[in-house]
This record gives sequence, structure tokens and C-alpha cells, in this order.
Amino acid sequence: MYDFTYHRPESLAQAIELVSAKCEAKLLAGGMSLLPALKLRLARYSDLVDLKAVSALEGGRREGDKLIIGAMTKHAAVAASEVVRQAIPALAVLAGGIGDPLVRNRGTIGGSIANADPAADYPSSVLGLGATVITNKRQIAGDEFFTGLFETALQAGEIITAVHFPIPLCAGYAKLLHPASRFALVGIFVAKTNAGVRVAVTGAGSSVFRFADAEEALNADFSPAALDQISVDADGLNSDIHASAEYRAHAIVVFAKRAVASALSR
Amino acid sequence: MHRAATSTRIGQPVPRKEDMRLITGKGRYADDLNLDGQAYAAMVRSPHAHATIRSIDTKAALAVPGVLSVLSGFDFLADRLSPIPNKTFSVHPAEMPLINTDGTPAFNIPDYPLPVDKVRFVGEAVAMVIADSIAAAKDGAEQVVIDYEPLPNVTFTVDAAAPDAPRVRDEHSSNVCIDAQAGDAELTEIAFRKAAHIAKIKTWIPRVAGSPMEPRAAVGEYDPQTGRYTIYTCSGQTLRLRRDLAIVLNVPETNVRLVIRDVGGNFGTRGAIFAEQPLVAWAARRVGRPVKWTSERSEVLVSDYQGRDLAVEAELAVDKDGNFLAMRGSNVGNLGSHTGNFSMVQKGLEIMSSIYRMPAAHFRARAVLSHTAPTRPYRSSGRPEVIYVMERLIDTVAHQAGFDRVELRLRNLVSQSELPYKNPFGMVYDSGDYIGVMKRAVELGDWNGFAARKAEARKRGRCRGIGVANYVDTATGIPREKAKLTVYPNGCVDVVIGTVSNGQGHETSFAQLINEWLGVPFDMVRLITGDTDVVDVGGGTHSGRGMRLGSIVIWHASNKIIEKGKQVVGLLLQKSPSEIGFADGQFTAQGGPVMSLAEVAAAMNARTDLPQELRGPLLAECDETVNDAGFPYGCHVCEVEIDPEMGFVEIVRHTTVDDVGKAVNPLIIHGQTHGGIAQGVGQALLEHCFYDASTGQLLAGSFMDYAMPRADILPFFTTEISEVPSTTHPLGMRPAGEGGTTPALGVVINAIVDALSEFGVTHMEMPATPERIWRAIRGKPQRSRIVPDSIEQEISLR
Repeated sequence: MYDFTYHRPESLAQAIELVSAKCEAKLLAGGMSLLPALKLRLARYSDLVDLKAVSALEGGRREGDKLIIGAMTKHAAVAASEVVRQAIPALAVLAGGIGDPLVRNRGTIGGSIANADPAADYPSSVLGLGATVITNKRQIAGDEFFTGLFETALQAGEIITAVHFPIPLCAGYAKLLHPASRFALVGIFVAKTNAGVRVAVTGAGSSVFRFADAEEALNADFSPAALDQISVDADGLNSDIHASAEYRAHAIVVFAKRAVASALSR
Repeated sequence: MHRAATSTRIGQPVPRKEDMRLITGKGRYADDLNLDGQAYAAMVRSPHAHATIRSIDTKAALAVPGVLSVLSGFDFLADRLSPIPNKTFSVHPAEMPLINTDGTPAFNIPDYPLPVDKVRFVGEAVAMVIADSIAAAKDGAEQVVIDYEPLPNVTFTVDAAAPDAPRVRDEHSSNVCIDAQAGDAELTEIAFRKAAHIAKIKTWIPRVAGSPMEPRAAVGEYDPQTGRYTIYTCSGQTLRLRRDLAIVLNVPETNVRLVIRDVGGNFGTRGAIFAEQPLVAWAARRVGRPVKWTSERSEVLVSDYQGRDLAVEAELAVDKDGNFLAMRGSNVGNLGSHTGNFSMVQKGLEIMSSIYRMPAAHFRARAVLSHTAPTRPYRSSGRPEVIYVMERLIDTVAHQAGFDRVELRLRNLVSQSELPYKNPFGMVYDSGDYIGVMKRAVELGDWNGFAARKAEARKRGRCRGIGVANYVDTATGIPREKAKLTVYPNGCVDVVIGTVSNGQGHETSFAQLINEWLGVPFDMVRLITGDTDVVDVGGGTHSGRGMRLGSIVIWHASNKIIEKGKQVVGLLLQKSPSEIGFADGQFTAQGGPVMSLAEVAAAMNARTDLPQELRGPLLAECDETVNDAGFPYGCHVCEVEIDPEMGFVEIVRHTTVDDVGKAVNPLIIHGQTHGGIAQGVGQALLEHCFYDASTGQLLAGSFMDYAMPRADILPFFTTEISEVPSTTHPLGMRPAGEGGTTPALGVVINAIVDALSEFGVTHMEMPATPERIWRAIRGKPQRSRIVPDSIEQEISLR
């Protein structure tokens, strides 16, 4: 780990000020990806602005037809939250399946989506539920937020404050576990909403993406069997020592069915 | 099955006395030691699999604040230090010798801890930076500029054996270090001509990482007044490591003190000297301060000694009734970059036929260099590989010819009346009830109830399979061991012994021996190991030798203590020593207790009227060389369920019966079996040190990619201990501890292949990942990126 200056602001305003003042500053929001990268000397920042004392960013609540989760809410808190379990149980399941207990007690939703790891779980829920990412500057639609491999629509000095999830009619999440890291080799978030079905795929591409063929089939018939005739082209999917693109293509359909079955079981 | 201990004597499941210390953070591992004024070392490691070192520029590194010194192999040579000696073969008299077919000596070249000519694997240490802090050392390491000229590399075993493969050593005409034969070619050929059925297998047992919980560490200290080095480190060795350190440091052995305290796992990864151990000692002398090095996990994966990596082509000939006639084939073991140890083609090959009656066998055995991290014996040195091959051959021929898998094994197991039995490689198995143990395992695993369980699983859409595998282990290792027992007037006993616990629970099981033989309370026994200022003879811990040899020397030394005590009591009571008895810590005369062991020790310390040889501390030593091998054996039954849609495997039952001859502490044995099974299952399903064939890079270089087995992939085990006394051990003991791993690869793969037989699948390579199973079900080649391409090609090892 290289030297850096550590800051722990207690308000969002202070955090914004700090991160804007330092050109090589990085926000620390749990650090479950950032800290290993620093320890391995894969990343170097002059300043770390730790958001953990900004209490306004933590916690979740329901407001009408949407679930609002603060950016610094930990995975374990989302998994255990009665409000989340009532409103969008699939989101609690997703959060409860991230990494291991140590990661879930440190990692945060804002940190996860800002990092935009192509194999992370949360991005699939943001895209799959059509959530809105709230920052200190604006509101970003889920469909616009993830722009590529570890890339998002966030601008310099922009801080995620919360994610607004519209409450669907039903939703499900299912993932093919990475055998070592427990990231998603393939993760599928399926949501049935009044505006139609949304299916998001994480782990299989350079960034989370929507699965249009499945959405169309499920709009006609929201059942696992509706996906029987669907197949996915392996071209362009991730391929690594743990799963080939061909296996991932197969897994996308299988886990989409499992996610639909999960959604229907609630 | 797991009863509570009713005493602390031999045979009792006594909870480990060291555990509270270890699990509450009070263990004393190498990294826990901090010496005054200590500096820190960081290694500069090669990013190339194979490259010429053109130059090493240390100027920028030396300018980094806090950096004290930057050392390379050139400095090492200038200081007239020596390369690390290799111990290529086991020379234990019970072991099968292996010699080149053409009579030439095997190729063996010692390694320099820091190379000056070339780097030969990704992660090889090239330079060492010493600094005031670990952060400064790492900053310095980044500034060491090494000019490399990359060269072509070869990582995969079979490819490395090819005559035109990129060569690892310019000093040798190929990568093949030994090309030997074992068995009788002619008899085997004749037997194969008579065969009704021949099963064939071509397979590769991939390379895995030992991954002990404690990363490697070493602290070196040098006293310029005495010219003496002290090295604190983790190892399975004491005296041989001290000897090797003295060789490298170019000083007499007496100028090296080695201290091994708690060790958090070994499995072979620290069974031999590793480069950083002499390097920290040398660095301490150079900078005039103690120097500490602690490996990080990524260094563990890239530069620890690795295990397995054997390619095998084998055939089994069977007559029409199912009697085994002969086996033949060819084994190629991958040594990695150095000619460190050829065990995998020696210890592995010599029990290729396992505990089956095998009238003839002939194998070719080769060990090859490659541009990968060095391999060393890994729990349990070559045996899991060949037991896997044998058990796969049996299932293959059973499937081909329609034999029942259990019946076929029972028919061919060596019976008790045939023991001792000389196998076709010349190994002599001492004793055992191979058939009884297998029958018990099959019964315990409810083999007969499997059909109903399979039918039930079918209703849930799962394919259920069952497998069985027998095994034998050859326990040899360094044959000499010594114990020194001292009884103190307060009744405490110190045991100084040459073995060293790497987590096996010696403090507990050795104390049980003393409790049994000297009647000394368990808590009053103190075990002293690992410090060469105290321990002068002994062979460390490997090859099932800890308890096997430890028990013999402690037993003899205990008897000497009793004999000495009888003489003392006889003198004091004016009786003949033959009239004195001993039981439960008390000397007796005419049936009643007369003096305790402690009282005798007190008398010997206090009384000046005793003869010279009976004065002073009550102590006894036993230094013994045991040239017999131990042959633990057993049988495992494994049951799996497979989700055919994705290829997921779940191990639903795992049953073991392991014969340990005489169990000193069944709780510890069961625990070691549990861990051993997990280690074997890890290899069968998950683990693989994956080297990219084109770049030679280790792609599974962290626990984010190297998949370790976890509790949630394993069922509750059913483990049972069999105790058929060994005839080659005075107390009937066979080693335990490797039994969990040795048959695990074979039994898990056999169960998976059985589950998949309805799809026409006849074999499964390791690790049996979901993708590989999914491909097999669909009739696709099992190839995925996890398989080196060449294994899929027609590999000809002959």
C-alpha cells in the first residue's frame, strides 16, 4: 500500500469539498474492492475520503411505490432489512449472497455500483429494477448508469447518495457462483413491473446488460417455460479459466429461468 | 461415533491441549517473532516464465528512503555462498530405487536462491530489498530495474517432455531429468497377451497449491562475535534444514541455530528448505540487523512449492473371470523449474498397483523440468495420483466388461493369508485386512441402499452416483529419530524429540504416550521440539513418521526410565531391581507401591550416595533408525448428486474406513481424515494452479481465482478407524493423516463418472468443474480453458 492521506468527513458537504479539492482523491465506501487494490499496489491515490461517518447516507426506507436505500448502506443491512424483505425480497436475497459475511458487513451498495465491477451483483438489480441513482448533483436512470468495464456515468466529484428502486410486482435473482471469489459468473435479475418485464445480466459481459429476448418472452408469459426456446449467442461474452463464453451463454438462460421461478415463488 | 475421552491414555479421544492457545491467537508462528532493530525484506520476483537476466540495476532502489541494502545473486556469489542442495530421491531402504534406463545418473542441478543467469518461472525471487520497514522494502523493490530478455517457455507436463521443448536448463540436453523403468516388461507383455479385457486411461492429475493457513516466513539473525546465525522459520524439518542452511551459508552446522515454533500447516510446501530461509540469514549478516521476511498470500500461490502435476497413460489387463493379470504404462511428473525432488515418480510409481494382487507390471517413469514453480511431495507424495489412476482403471474395466465394481475389487484384493505381499514393483506390504476393511466401508456407506437413493434423487431431477476406492500409503521418510525424556522431582516430564508439529497435535498425542507408559499426568508432560540448540537428532515431520517413529523412541526411552528407576528403588530398598515393578507412575515391591516416579527423580537429584550412573536428573534417551516402512490402507465410499442442467456436483455422502494399526488419539485421527478428505475433494472438484500455456503466467494467483474447498461443499463425513496391528511396528501402529487425501481423488471421480454413466460418460478429468461435467453430459469435448489444449490431443507418453 502506498501512502495516502485519510479523511473521514461527517457530512456530505465536507466530503464533496474534500474530494473536489484533491485531484487524486478517491471515495472510500466500504473498500471491499478498493482496499485489496491498494494493498496489492494496483492503485494509488493521494487521498482517501472515507464516507462511513456520513450518517445521512446510511439506511433504507419505503416511500410510496419506491424503496430508497442510502449509498452507504451495508449489504448485511439490506439483507436483514424487514423493509427491503417486504418491498423487494429479491434485493435482500441478492445482498445476502454477496461475497462472505466479512464483505457484507463492510461493503456498501453505493460502493458496489460506483465500482461497476462486471461481476458484481448489485448492478443487475439497478438495471433489472430500472432504479434511479441519486447523486449530489442529479438523478441518473439505471439504464444510463453503467457505461462499461468499471465505468459509470458518474463525473469527477460526484457522489452517490442513494438508490431509488421502484417496487415491482415481483422479482427474482439467481446467480452462478464463481468457485473462488463468489462473485457472479452469471447473475440474472428479473423484475415484473407494471411497465413490463426487465431482465438484467451481470458477470457475463464487460458490464451489466439487459436481456431483450427474455424480456419479450416473459412479457408474453411470465414463467420459466417461456424461456425454453431462448438461446444466447456466446459471441462477446466473458470467457476465463472458470467458465467459457459457451457455458456462460447456457447459464444465462438457466439462471434467468431460476430467477423467474424465484420471483413467482414469492 | 465420537465418544468422549474417559482418560488421557493411548486410544482415548483426548481434546488437543494446544488448541486453546492456537485458536485464541497465542500461537507463536514465525511471523509473530519481532527482534530488536529488525529490518524487513521484500523479494523482487520474476514477471517472466523464462528470460535471460541481462542486468540488475539497484541504484534507484538504494535511493529509496529507508532502504538499507539491495542484494542479488551476484552478491550471493561474491560472498561465496553455495546453492541449495537437492534431495532428489528417497533413499529409504524400503523404497523402490529409480535409475535411468540407460544407466546414466539422473540430471540434478542445485538451485541458487537468487539466480544470476536466467529466471525460470513467474514468481522466482531475483533480488531482495532490505529496509527499515516493509513498506520501504516494497517501495525499494519496485525500483529495482532488471533487464530481461524473454525466452520461449513450456509449462505443461507432457509438452515439457518433448525433445524440442524450450529447455529449462542449458546444462542438460532435454527437460527429462530421469527416464526410468520399473517392473518386468517381459512378464507384463506375456500377461497382456492372455487378457480377456484391457482398460486404458490417459489422464493428467493437475498441479495444486498446498495453501497452508500460515504463509511462509523467516527471521534471520547473525552474531558477528560468534559468527553464528539464528533462523526462526516455519518448516516440517529441523536438523536436515539446519544442515542445508549451513551448506548454503557456507558455515559449519554448529554455526547455525534453527528455531521452529508453531507451524500453521505444511502438507509438503515447507518440507524442504526454501530460498528465503538462507536469504534472511545472509541479509542479517550483510546489514548487521535481524531481517524478517513474511510471504503474502499472492507470494504463497506463486512461489510456494506446489504439488501433484503428473501425466499418466496406463493399461490394466484382466482375465475373463476378472482376475487382474498385469498393468503397464508411463508416468511423467512435472518438477517445475528445479530438480528438487523426484518423489512423485518414485513414491508414486512404487504402489501403482495399490493393494491388489498384480502378478506383473511395467512402467516407464519420467520427471521433467518446466517453466513453473518447483513441485515437492504434497500430501501424500505421489500416492493420491496413482491410487486415482488404479481406481479409475478398475471402474473402467468393470464398465467395459460388465463386472460388479465391488466384487471385482474384493476378488483382487490381497488377502490376509497372502501377506506380507511383494507387489510387482518390489514393495512389501506388511499386514492388514484389506478385504475386511473394504467390506466394512461398503457396508458403512450403505452401498446396497444406493439404488433406492438414486431413484429418489431422480425424482428431484438429480443424477446420483456412487464410487469406491481402496488405497495404500508407503510411509518411509528420514528413518532416524531420537527422544530424550527427563523426569523432574515435581513429577513433570520433558520430552525432547526431533519431529516437529505442523498442526498434527503432537503436544497432545505424545503426552498420551507418556501418560500411558510412565503414568505421568497428561498436563505434566511438556514437549520440546524445533530448536536445534536442544534437539540434536531427528527427522522432522513428513511421510507419516511423526507418531510412527516418535512412539518407538518415546517407548524405548520410557522403558529406560523405568529400568533406571527400578535400579534406584532397588538400591534404596535393598532389593534386586528384578523385584521392583512399575505401574501407573508408581514403583512397586511385593505388590504394593513403594515410590513414585517423581520421588525417584528427587532421590536421584538429592542423594550423593547413589552410584555415579544413577545420580543426577532422571533422564533417558533413545536414538533409533527404523528401516521398516509403514503401510496404512483403507477404503472410501463417496456418493454424489449432479444437477445435469448446469453440471453442479454435490457430495452427499463420504464414508471412510482407515486402518491405522493402533489409534493413539482417535479424535485427532478423525480430524486429520476430515481435513484430508477436504484436501482431496478440493483437487477433485476445484483446485488448479493454472498456468497460461502461451505466457507461462499463473492465472490462479490469488484466492479470488484459486478455488479452495469450503465447508459448504462437503457433507458430514462418516469416518471409522480400523485397528489391525502393523507387524513392522513394535506397537502395531500405522501412520494416519494422509488416508483422507490418498483415495479421495479416485473415489470422487469414480462417483461422478458413475452418476454420468447414463449419458455415456466414461471418464472425467480433474478438477471436475461444473462446466466440464456439463460438457461431458452433452457429448462435447471436455475441453474448456481450464484444460491445457495438449491434454485433449492424443498424448503419447510411451
